[in-house]
Amino acid sequence: MLYKVLVVDDETPVRDLLNDLLKREDCGVTTCASGEAALEELKKNPFDIVLLDIKLPGISGLEVLKNIRETNKELPVIMITGFGYNEDLINKSKEFGCSGYIGKNMPVAQIITTFKKIAQEVKSGKAGS
Amino acid sequence: MIPAGKEENKVPLDILDNCGVMLIYLNAEQDIVFCNKKTERITGSKSEDIAGGDWRKILFRGNGGLIKQEMFKAVLDECVRHKREKDFEGIILDGSGKERIISWNFSPVVSEDGRVKGSLLTGHDVTRIREAANSVKSIDSTLKNIFFSLKDYALYVTNLEGNITYFSTGSEVMLGWKKKDVIFRHVDILHGGSGQMEGFSSILEEIGLSGRYEKEAALSPKTGKLIPVVLTVNKFFDSEKKHSGYIFVAKDITERRHLEYQAFQSEKMAALGLLSAGMAHEINNPLLVILGRCELLAKERLGRKERENLGLISSQAERIQKLVDRILKFSQKSKQVFEPVNINEAIEFIIPFARYSNLPDTRVDLVKDFEEGLPPVRGDLHQLQEVFLNLLINAYQSISKNGKIEITTRRGNGGFATVTVKDTGSGIPPEHLKDIFMPFFSTKTEGKGLGLSICYNIVKDHNGRIGLESRPGEGSVFTIELPFI
Repeated sequence: MLYKVLVVDDETPVRDLLNDLLKREDCGVTTCASGEAALEELKKNPFDIVLLDIKLPGISGLEVLKNIRETNKELPVIMITGFGYNEDLINKSKEFGCSGYIGKNMPVAQIITTFKKIAQEVKSGKAGS
Repeated sequence: MIPAGKEENKVPLDILDNCGVMLIYLNAEQDIVFCNKKTERITGSKSEDIAGGDWRKILFRGNGGLIKQEMFKAVLDECVRHKREKDFEGIILDGSGKERIISWNFSPVVSEDGRVKGSLLTGHDVTRIREAANSVKSIDSTLKNIFFSLKDYALYVTNLEGNITYFSTGSEVMLGWKKKDVIFRHVDILHGGSGQMEGFSSILEEIGLSGRYEKEAALSPKTGKLIPVVLTVNKFFDSEKKHSGYIFVAKDITERRHLEYQAFQSEKMAALGLLSAGMAHEINNPLLVILGRCELLAKERLGRKERENLGLISSQAERIQKLVDRILKFSQKSKQVFEPVNINEAIEFIIPFARYSNLPDTRVDLVKDFEEGLPPVRGDLHQLQEVFLNLLINAYQSISKNGKIEITTRRGNGGFATVTVKDTGSGIPPEHLKDIFMPFFSTKTEGKGLGLSICYNIVKDHNGRIGLESRPGEGSVFTIELPFI
């Protein structure tokens, strides 16, 4: 298994798609539908990387990120959003300590490539650059 | 006082002294023989000065007012020479050396043999009357100057029937009518008609109800479209405080309306931006699923027909994705890099790209008229190029037969660079002009209707202005103003 990934997205079809796409890349995938559920899952199980939707019902993706960073500075967290390339959201995510940023408007192949690239950089210690 | 004549020919002196005018009798040598008390009072002379005295000494205090003396002498000589009385108004110096305006009558006194034996001068002191008249003249001229200076206001007066009796210079400037065009014509040539304009009778009704009229209205200029104004009409009272007409004051609010429209447009754009961002987000999620599933399916073993269909689904979904990207671009402010931008070079760069947009079988001449040495503006080069490209593409696409596009750069007023893109294309109907910068509004059959709304937002972000004039069948002129650094 390449990475153990936690996918957080409130939309089932998106969650299922990311699950299928990442499994094809030899990743172990766990999915959560909300920020609260993700924080619970992170308490229970270790993960190599988190793929976190920004717009979530209840606590938002950015709040989940902030929460994670309070106890874990190292865990790679990639933000993913349907708002596309949005300067404000990117800056806010960086400020809260995200490891990377993916727009859902990217071509699917590019999403996977970007995910793998960020994951590799994180593993080799270049995260957040 | 000097007694006149012998005892038997005695003139009732007290009458002459109290007649309220200056009376002076000069002999043939033009020496003073007689003058009354009024003359003594005004000139401050004493009897001994006057007897046999020189009128210059009495009326001009010796050598004072030489030119005035010459004039006095000339009229006097003419009166004697032609043996004819003369009226004239002249200035003398009084006892304190102040000027007095005297309305004179010089009458020759002719003897039986036809010889002029003297002259009778009657002088009426009109100093106060003239000063009062001058002061009225001065007030009048001040008022005229005020009216003349109020160029943003049209001020005109009518009589009770509504015929124009006064039309200020400001009215001429604002409305293009000349005084001679409108004086004594009915005011409804400025107010008449329907719709936005209220005629004289409606104005009178309002004044009848509330004493005055004040409303936003529109005035009809000599040429061109109606001018929006705030119009105030009050009753006009003449110098005898008699209601003799109406006074109209109109303030041009074109610029205010324009700013209100811009503010309204900005608010609408901001709201639409927010809505578009939300909508784009909602579309991106299912699109990702569709495209992702297509990608996964494509890796499977599929028949030719299935693969073709899958390709079709993918390509159509990608088309939606591109549209959504444009919507997102409209709604978001991508990071702008502001730097000095040479407008001429920026336009020069995009022209080759725009040329591809001309419609099939058309010949379009592009005329560049760039002002040399234009100072740089502060802007994001790529965004400004996008604006110019969009405008040029629109211009090319509006020309279905042969035509011309002129792109001009100028040093405009108030520290702005002005860029105009003028085409001889199809033009835009007036009813569409107000919506032309709205997103998703398009007059083209194959347009997304986002280009001009993006231009609008970019220009606004650069603290600039974008405007459009267009006539169907004649073409359009887009004007962009961008502040210099």
